[in-house]
Amino acid sequence: MTQSPQGLTEFHWLIEVLQTVDVGILVLDLEYRITAWNGFMENNSGINSTQALDQSLFTVFPEVSQEWFKHKADTVVQLRNRAFTTWEQRPFVFKFRHNRPITGVTEFMYQNCTFIPVISTSGEVENLAVIVYDVTDIATGKIELNLVNQRLAQLSRTDGLTQLYNRAYWETLFSSEYMRLQRQEAEVCLIMLDIDHFKRVNDTYGHQAGDDVIRAVSKAIRDNSRTTDIAGRYGGEEFALLLLDSDAQNSYQFAERLRKKIAALQVATEAGILQVTVSLGVARWLPQFQHHGQWIEAADRGLYRSKDQGRNQTSIEAG
Amino acid sequence: MDSDVLDEDLRDSLRELSNIAVGRAADLLARLLDTFVIMPIPAVNLLERSELSMALSSVQGTHSVSAVCQGFTGSKIAGEALLIFNDASFTDMAELTHFEGEITEQIELELLMDISNILIGACLKGLAEQLDINFSQGQPYLLGQHINIDELLSRNPSGWQRLLTIELPYKLEGRLVNCDLLLLFSNDSLAVLRDKVAYMLE
Repeated sequence: MTQSPQGLTEFHWLIEVLQTVDVGILVLDLEYRITAWNGFMENNSGINSTQALDQSLFTVFPEVSQEWFKHKADTVVQLRNRAFTTWEQRPFVFKFRHNRPITGVTEFMYQNCTFIPVISTSGEVENLAVIVYDVTDIATGKIELNLVNQRLAQLSRTDGLTQLYNRAYWETLFSSEYMRLQRQEAEVCLIMLDIDHFKRVNDTYGHQAGDDVIRAVSKAIRDNSRTTDIAGRYGGEEFALLLLDSDAQNSYQFAERLRKKIAALQVATEAGILQVTVSLGVARWLPQFQHHGQWIEAADRGLYRSKDQGRNQTSIEAG
Repeated sequence: MDSDVLDEDLRDSLRELSNIAVGRAADLLARLLDTFVIMPIPAVNLLERSELSMALSSVQGTHSVSAVCQGFTGSKIAGEALLIFNDASFTDMAELTHFEGEITEQIELELLMDISNILIGACLKGLAEQLDINFSQGQPYLLGQHINIDELLSRNPSGWQRLLTIELPYKLEGRLVNCDLLLLFSNDSLAVLRDKVAYMLE
């Protein structure tokens, strides 16, 4: 059989294009042996074509899971239907290096792959082609965007000075906890806490020292609360703490412990070592609250009573 | 030709075409998944933008609803296949696709993509064969992941109001996998489809 010179030329440039196109092309037979591949596959894998052709895919690429690949290939052959994998599902099918090994930000190449059934002249599916796209730049871009968004979300929820939740976010959590309690009753207590004579600290020692005091008190709150407790900076020197699954007695004990810890703090400031005390009000959730504001009012009443009775103490508000 | 009008003849022909396509797809699926596929009855409609918005917004914020979207194009017919899982059990999906092993979040994603690929692929292929054309399919996208659904429609530049839609509600017997496959066609595809169908009926 001879081919016309023109046919040969055409065949030649077609192969040349397939060989150099910047997309991986891999053709397998139904026994998963490599029938053909192009330059992209050869160059990125670093494996010589002569060592890859006619070999099992799983010998040439031991990182490819046999079970997974065969499973994928099965549907392609049976349904004569393309199948896809995206980098979001599976970062890569073939473990290739980043195409910029020096300045790239990931070690490996993120890939999207398409599995294509190749139908022979007899009308049967006799081969399977895998097309490999390098999507590293898209993937890293999206991953970074996600990280930045998470960081932004965290920033928008956190109070800069204290690293506790800011008031807006604390109130969101508080009101959703309140809603939850309407559906399912539980022992939950709210503590409102205020630094005693804070204005005097500011006026006497300066705002810098005031900030140091607030930071120290916040740290004490963070260090002494459980991970399930929801602590936020409610105002300038006022803090709110929601204790989940904690009855009034336990919450009172917690508040007293915190109060003593804070009273014992030696806050180092530029103006010297300062000592502060706090007043606290505890209110447990009551089914008769009409809205979540009433709960805060109840805890505030406890707080004011503590202030009235001489500060540096905790009062339970019965409701 | 007004692309906003769907006359009864065209609707009937498209319904018939989809019926045959779906029948083939269901047969293939039944063999592959080894389960009985309850044949969906295709509904051919013009879908309002607001209806699609509503369907998509149900995907956001709930974990029980997921959607996969895949573009297709060929012979001047273009559109997107949108598969909305209303009620999907991953255990059932794993069994269907013969997956054994622990179902992690990543595996869930893969199962979702696998099932959608099978359902979308089988149906598109059936339809393309009927029309005697070939579709190129893009990469499938899981909506909601890395895509803001609120912005999904508002940022589309074509400003369409109504879309030709073939809706196929799939159900697998004895399985908790209920999903709606929507084949959405771009406005300029309608005229091409009309010609194709008219040619076939001759």
